[in-house]
Amino acid sequence: MTQKTLEISNISTRYGQIPMLMNVSLEIRKGHIACVLGANGAGKTTLLKTILGMVKADTGSIKLNGESIDHLPTHKRVEKGIAMAAAAFGTLHKMTVEKNLKMGAYYINDNKLLNERLEQVYQSFPILKERLNQKAGTLSGGERTMLTIARAVINKPTLLMLDEPSLGLAPIMVEEVFRVIKKLNEKDNMTILLVEQNAQKALDVSHYGYVIQKGQIVFKGEPDELRSSEYVENPVAG
Amino acid sequence: MKDQGTKPSIPNFLYSALGVLMINLIIFVLLYVIIAAEFAVSMITLLCTILVMLYLDKKGLINEIFSIFIKYKRTALISTVVLALIFPLMLADKRYIAHIAIIVTVYGMAALGLNFQMGSTNMVNFAPAAFMGIGAYSIAVLTAKFGMSSWVALAIAILTSGLMGLLIGIPTLRTKDYYLSLVTMALQLAFTMVLFNIPYLGGPNGISGVKPLSIGEFSLVKSYTVFGVKIAPQIPYLYLCILILALFIYIAMRIYISRIGLSLNTIAQDEVAANCLGINIAARKLFAFVIGAIFCGVAGALYGSYTSYVGPDDFGFPKSLMIICMVILGGMDNVVGVVTGAFILTVITEKLRVFSDFQQLVYGLILLTVLIVRPAGLIPKRVRNYCMVFKKNIVKHTQD
Repeated sequence: MTQKTLEISNISTRYGQIPMLMNVSLEIRKGHIACVLGANGAGKTTLLKTILGMVKADTGSIKLNGESIDHLPTHKRVEKGIAMAAAAFGTLHKMTVEKNLKMGAYYINDNKLLNERLEQVYQSFPILKERLNQKAGTLSGGERTMLTIARAVINKPTLLMLDEPSLGLAPIMVEEVFRVIKKLNEKDNMTILLVEQNAQKALDVSHYGYVIQKGQIVFKGEPDELRSSEYVENPVAG
Repeated sequence: MKDQGTKPSIPNFLYSALGVLMINLIIFVLLYVIIAAEFAVSMITLLCTILVMLYLDKKGLINEIFSIFIKYKRTALISTVVLALIFPLMLADKRYIAHIAIIVTVYGMAALGLNFQMGSTNMVNFAPAAFMGIGAYSIAVLTAKFGMSSWVALAIAILTSGLMGLLIGIPTLRTKDYYLSLVTMALQLAFTMVLFNIPYLGGPNGISGVKPLSIGEFSLVKSYTVFGVKIAPQIPYLYLCILILALFIYIAMRIYISRIGLSLNTIAQDEVAANCLGINIAARKLFAFVIGAIFCGVAGALYGSYTSYVGPDDFGFPKSLMIICMVILGGMDNVVGVVTGAFILTVITEKLRVFSDFQQLVYGLILLTVLIVRPAGLIPKRVRNYCMVFKKNIVKHTQD
């Protein structure tokens, strides 16, 4: 059995009095892509924020590579190797693309290693190389999504979390983004937690999927099982 | 400036050590004329300088000048040091002008301190004068009431202002944006009220008899006769202030090009993203608060020790607003800009004393004009160079 990169058991989270997550448990195996599907307000982003420690969980525990990270603040969790790329809190728009990337590599302080990593990132995201000295605020939506992903992977995280990478993108860019995600997983063997509304696309690249509804995991299974389940077939609930 | 397309035109001969020297000399002469000349001459020169600066900036030449300075670093540094040493001597027979120069350096330090919070991290702190006051009152109490040596008192003043920065920083960190501003505003007002109501601290009368700084028997605020020439009493103190200001500028510049500076900028732009990138937001904000408080505290201590009197009025809300204006007017998050702002505003305030009653009005008009014409400040923020200076915090990568 392969190693579990992330193991969440019985997490509950509240915003004030309003419960957002109720007894959520999920796990991601090393080198897999797991997707969490759900409608707006289902608690997907809250789940990611809880994993990253921006929102404190009331109960339950989170383990990264078998090691409990419950007590760690956000920046320590990032140091442990959790990276997040989110459409919602995106790029540092007043900084150049290059500086954005370097901010992502905040913890690398060996110049040689940094340049190596930057080179690798440019290879995976050639579009960014052309835009290096441009301010991130002037990028298109797709390029910006690419930048957030690139900024997250520059650290070679143990777990990459993507929050709705297809949000607000043209279909052709959505294709491109998912191609990149698949490549990151296949080539660099990166473990990815993908949170999406676009169920079909997400299931195409995932190894395993969860459906979250009103803060609870209501279904989990292989992509094929999910596809034939009521949750994904019905686009409203999907 | 690769991405600007057309290269700005600057006379070729300026791209040399001699050019740096010339530019430095021009700046020096301008500074002298603005600070020392009569009201009309001074104001006209100041206005022309500002207009020329705006023009140069529009053409992108200011950045070009900066890059020349960086290229010929050594010449720039040596000539600046020499000029900074000559400058006070030129004011040797002008007491009042030397006094203005000291006030400029003091506010320059305070503005640099505030810039860490306001310019870099986007935390608008309305209480820089209160932090100055903490430094000033520390040195006043320690020297006038306990009779301590003024240098020891200065060191303790640094500690107390840093500590107060930390103590005030921790609760204020829970707030953001406007709320943070409100909290600091309340702090500033409370600070003055507290000073007014503590009899031990002299209440509205303040504390007089603060010992001036001295090196051995050599007092720094005293008139000396060198080579038969009587020197204004402010001159030795001005040297000290310039020295400390230079030190602060150096520290600020080092911080700005470091990763700490970059992370402060990141927090200013997007706190959540900064947190996601692994920046310890609370620690960084506290850092900005503490170092800002220390800069302001030293400025206040130097001010108190120079005037040998501290009173609540010197560290009231209007003074805070003035320091904030210096940062905004000079150019947020730009060390050179902030010091320029401090210089211009202090000189204007002092020169406008001619207008007596209308001083505040004219002052307000000038500020309003600048803010309408140039909201980003005279020398606005530049894209800073990223450099690797930190050794710790390497993420442990799992390569398996």
